[in-house]
Amino acid sequence: MIGLFDPTIRALNQNLNLREENQNIISSNIANADTPGYKSKAVSFENAMRDAMNTEENVKLEVSAPEHIGSKGPENVTADVYDDPNGVESLDGNTVDRAGEMAKMKENEILYNASVESLRKKIGMLEYGVSEGGGNK
Amino acid sequence: MADFFSSMRVSASGLDAQMKRMNTISSNIANAETPGYKRKDTEFTATADRESFGEILKDKVDQNTQGVLVTDVRDDTHPQRMVYRPDDPHANEEGYVEMPNVNPVKEMADMISTQRSYEANASAIAAATQMANKALELGR
Repeated sequence: MIGLFDPTIRALNQNLNLREENQNIISSNIANADTPGYKSKAVSFENAMRDAMNTEENVKLEVSAPEHIGSKGPENVTADVYDDPNGVESLDGNTVDRAGEMAKMKENEILYNASVESLRKKIGMLEYGVSEGGGNK
Repeated sequence: MADFFSSMRVSASGLDAQMKRMNTISSNIANAETPGYKRKDTEFTATADRESFGEILKDKVDQNTQGVLVTDVRDDTHPQRMVYRPDDPHANEEGYVEMPNVNPVKEMADMISTQRSYEANASAIAAATQMANKALELGR
């Protein structure tokens, strides 16, 4: 079935959710940069997202009954949060790298903005379609 | 589900904690020459971000987003500086005055570190605000 919202829109939507979660984790790390014993946390979802997108296009598990497990669509991708293995422990047991977190935060922000822009373009195209190629745009 | 307000609350808790740490440092510097004063230290503890009952319940599942809280302001246990000043009214029987164990250089270094941390938290709030505003552009 081809719905109004294609996999790209659903993937972008989920990508925004995951980047939001990433922002939460990063700000949590920054807030706790001086907390003794706090372990820096990292988020990963890029690989899971890529796999989900590839599955969508190439291989798809057939679902013939509601209890069957189908392919994992992009909207089912979840963020994997774990203690950062690259963290260097300081004297008080804290592993937060402040500069690194700031860089990650900026990267996350830029990629979030990129996803919003792509989503706007996608929605713009849908609008163009539903207004029969003309409209007031 | 994650939201930007959670990120802002966490960063705000960071700002608050750094502010309290800065107050403690100012107090230490101001009292560096006050007889009998003991140097103070703030204790930071990571705490789950929660606003309401529902979020406390949710925290049972998600413990990853953590704010920071100043849980204690302790006296520094390092020995006081004993200065021989028999004329001072604060002097003990042997003529020694108990001066604070405050090291101004260490306090200044702490102050710079506090300022940097404060700025980092402020930047995190700015980033979350920018992203939330960007998402609102979808409706334009």
